[in-house]
Amino acid sequence: MHGKILNTSFDALVIGGGIAGGEAALNLVNNGFKVLIIEKDLSIGGKMILLSKVFPTLDCSACITTPKVSEISRHPGITIFTGSEVRKIIRKAENSFEAEVIKTPRYVIAEDCTGCQLCEQACPVNVHDQYQYNLIGRKAAYIPFSIASPRVAAIDIENCTLCGACEKVCPTKCIDFTQETEEYHIKAKTVVIATGFNLFDPLMMPRYGYGLYKNIITSMQMERQLAPTRPFNTILRPGDGKVPDKIAYVLCTGSRDVTVGNPICSQICCMYSIKQAQLLMGALPMADVTIYYINIRSFGKGFEEFYDQAKGMGVNFIKGKIGRISEKENGNLIMRYEDINENIVKEAEHDIVVLSVGVLPNTDSAALFPDGELKLDPFNFVYQTDPLASPAKTSIKGVFVAGTASGPMDIPDSILSAGAASSEAMSYLIRK
Amino acid sequence: MDIEKGKTYKYLREKREVTQAAKDNQKQFSKIKKSILEALQESDLTIEQLTQKLNMPKHEVVYYLMSLVKYGFVQTDAVDDMDEYFSYKLKK
Repeated sequence: MHGKILNTSFDALVIGGGIAGGEAALNLVNNGFKVLIIEKDLSIGGKMILLSKVFPTLDCSACITTPKVSEISRHPGITIFTGSEVRKIIRKAENSFEAEVIKTPRYVIAEDCTGCQLCEQACPVNVHDQYQYNLIGRKAAYIPFSIASPRVAAIDIENCTLCGACEKVCPTKCIDFTQETEEYHIKAKTVVIATGFNLFDPLMMPRYGYGLYKNIITSMQMERQLAPTRPFNTILRPGDGKVPDKIAYVLCTGSRDVTVGNPICSQICCMYSIKQAQLLMGALPMADVTIYYINIRSFGKGFEEFYDQAKGMGVNFIKGKIGRISEKENGNLIMRYEDINENIVKEAEHDIVVLSVGVLPNTDSAALFPDGELKLDPFNFVYQTDPLASPAKTSIKGVFVAGTASGPMDIPDSILSAGAASSEAMSYLIRK
Repeated sequence: MDIEKGKTYKYLREKREVTQAAKDNQKQFSKIKKSILEALQESDLTIEQLTQKLNMPKHEVVYYLMSLVKYGFVQTDAVDDMDEYFSYKLKK
């Protein structure tokens, strides 16, 4: 169901509108280059915009992300396609790439939507809210989340029953079910890959019982519970709505584990778990928080002090490897673990278990280029041909990598990486 | 066909069939919403009490009840003496 093919050209094509892609785009545009950001989601901001606070400063994540996202959205030199995906990229000449981009219809005229949410109120459909990691529902006519950019409604056409309720109440008549998928042929002189990472799916580790036991959640679900735009009024167990008293974290879920195909450290799980533990002690002052770890890797600036701060606040750290988790009738969870220091197997009971899920590569970008031109490293992140001298260079001349597309890293490192990618892209553009 | 602004859903209805899963999901939500709101009309209830009244799994009650809080039909009331379970009431 494609409409006409639209042709347009830019200096730089940035694939991914998360914090790395956004930073790279801003650097490029502020130096006079015309940029297109392709974002597959309905909002830019990536995973960072959904976080509660950042480590080790405990600054509000949305307060950092929102002004940046706003600057990106309003910049006249940046064009953003949300709900869009690059299908393939072909190198046409020395300084010319051609990308096929598919823009799926939002069924809302973005320029006319005021974000009033009347359509949301009228919609009779309820489905899992992916932006709250399925903890609550959302409508089929919906604003993705309150600080989304653009803050424009969208219709989830797969779940919409085409009842017309949203159209009837829309004051600006901006809902438009005649919209069709658009195909663009984009010409760009350089490409920045900022496709980010995927979170490990704990269903791959059935011994932890995620999905089976409702009081086992992922760290991203806890992150949402701690955010100002949280799904519940306070921290609750999704299994029965109880305010948890004994909370456990399982570090290295899907990281440093050859059995699930990810032998490397995800670099962020120790610190985000310690961050969440501190936030939980603020939200639930009477709660006991225990972190089960193999090693705490506090390698960054201020990380060791942050770890010490958590210990000082009363967070309990146990060097232990979890064998399995089982559920009691009251919804509490029994953790069976090997106490590494004492070398014995122990059991402990907790109200809720948070799995600190790791970082996995997003391999989508490799498939964009023909014949395996874009090489991946042994862990399936984008291969950096010269990681020490030119960390953003990839196996394709004129294609650069930014952020976690090249490997696990935290937010400051993603921004630094985006700076490197934009600098190298600019240098490439100027040389041409 | 003529496409009238504000009634474009009719245009897509002609071109695309709504899936049975989407229809079933809407029906199920309407039914659960009605039963939760009716139960709360009688008195304020905890999730445990709603579970018994509606004969639904607890995690489903949490999911639907919290969705109704988000949509503005229900509000959180007091927490029990042990600070463990909240009760919920209709938003007036």
